[in-house]
Amino acid sequence: MPRLGADGAPPVLPIASLLLGALALALVGLLVLLSPAAFAGYLGLPRVVAINHVFTLTFVGLVFAGTLQQLPAVMFVTKLAWPRLGWLTLPLLAVGSVAVVIGFFRGFSAPWLAFGAAATSLAWVALVVQLARTAAQRWPKDPGSHALLLSALFLALAVILGFTLASARTTPSVAAQVGYPVQLHFTVGLFGAFLLGIIGSGQKLLSMFALSKGGPQWRVRYATYAVTAAILLEALATFARLPLITASHVLLAIACALQAWEVLNILRRRLRKRLELPIQRYVLAHAFLPLAGVALLFGEGGAAMILFLLGFVGLAVSGMLVKILSFLTWTWQFAGASTGGVSGGAPLLRDLVKDELEPIITWGLVLAAAALAAATIWSSALLAVVAGAATLLAGVALTAQASHVVGVTVRSRRRLAAAAAAAQATKTLEEARA
Amino acid sequence: MTETELTEINPAVPARNVLEALHAVIDPELGLDIVSLGMVYAVAVVDSQVAIEMTLTTPGCPLHGSIEADVRHCLGQVPGVGDIGVELVWDPPWTPDSMSAEAKRSLGFY
Repeated sequence: MPRLGADGAPPVLPIASLLLGALALALVGLLVLLSPAAFAGYLGLPRVVAINHVFTLTFVGLVFAGTLQQLPAVMFVTKLAWPRLGWLTLPLLAVGSVAVVIGFFRGFSAPWLAFGAAATSLAWVALVVQLARTAAQRWPKDPGSHALLLSALFLALAVILGFTLASARTTPSVAAQVGYPVQLHFTVGLFGAFLLGIIGSGQKLLSMFALSKGGPQWRVRYATYAVTAAILLEALATFARLPLITASHVLLAIACALQAWEVLNILRRRLRKRLELPIQRYVLAHAFLPLAGVALLFGEGGAAMILFLLGFVGLAVSGMLVKILSFLTWTWQFAGASTGGVSGGAPLLRDLVKDELEPIITWGLVLAAAALAAATIWSSALLAVVAGAATLLAGVALTAQASHVVGVTVRSRRRLAAAAAAAQATKTLEEARA
Repeated sequence: MTETELTEINPAVPARNVLEALHAVIDPELGLDIVSLGMVYAVAVVDSQVAIEMTLTTPGCPLHGSIEADVRHCLGQVPGVGDIGVELVWDPPWTPDSMSAEAKRSLGFY
């Protein structure tokens, strides 16, 4: 039997990655608040694209990359391959993401974009190779793990496509060869990486946290097939100019519906009736999938993307961030501790979370997604201000929550270690007196 | 609920006492003890040696190291217990049906 889930990377790496990710969400809010007019107009402006990449590359990207340093060991029941590779990939990813954002803010600055896209591409390719090597040690059979594997592959592909887009802007020969496949970049990133990542990790984690065992997993399998097929069709439509876009969109809608159905099915079978607040947020995220679909049907592509990203992805990722961070810091501080676990005075995982912050994160993101989508539909800078303030509030609350989780755990461990040392000193003194 | 198999050969401490001591080991995620959760499949005591066969709610649970350490920590404080062996098994897999009625109730099962 292999050693199990604690066999991830050095814990400080994913913890730092998740903390930085939380901070990035607050930065998204601040940037929207500083540029409300941009969201009331054309969404292809460099400033909007930059803010979009703070969300996708820095918030979601860092949380996803940090999670990949721990979750595969749990899902595949094996050891993480090359656990110290994170020392290279995570800083590279952070630096590359910042460079990409600066590149967009500076009006599609070619040197910044080239450096940033190259760094993030390299980091994600290394992460995918690490994930594949980990899976190869004990090839997973469940569809959730397959979805997770594919999502990392698609995220690397989305970043590489971003690199291609940056190159096409500055190098005519690249533009002549591949055109400007921005729609494919969106589809691969939003659905291939984010939707499949949430499907894959969520299926395992939601079942675990809700104590929902042994249900059929065919929805996860077919959702994965649908997303993969949709991306292939869209690639053919982009590069071979075949009329397959509608078919691709239908498949993506089917995948979203299957995911929502799967979540409902897990909840229906669950034996833990009272879900924790971060898990409730993860579940609530799925309400944004039909909303995004409706926006798309009414021709509001920008609003649909905002509802999908800030609503669905934002709520789901922030929910899982709090739960995963609790596990990571607790095991970092207490696994194998000589004081024992909870019996020795360690806190319960739920005691690490400050409940008062959770509604601020949840409803802040809900309000932000609704207001920003409305701002793009009605070209309202005022609604964009509301969205920015709500995102900032949610991001600050998420950062405070993440810091609280880490702080409480570390302080508890230190207090227990000090108490154990004092007890040992007293015992030694008593023995010496005797 | 899981019925824990108790085995004793010339025991320095009764197996039932060992099982009782395991009530102090709490799952940090669920906040309930591992005996009430039905995770302890077998307790064997041979002289002063104690062997525990147990499971976790999920294979790959990241808390395995800490729960195992907590089992050793708790049993190490039981008078008469010498060597402690802890084996994690996945067959039969844990299901929520393994829990005691009280554990189910505290998780909102009823």
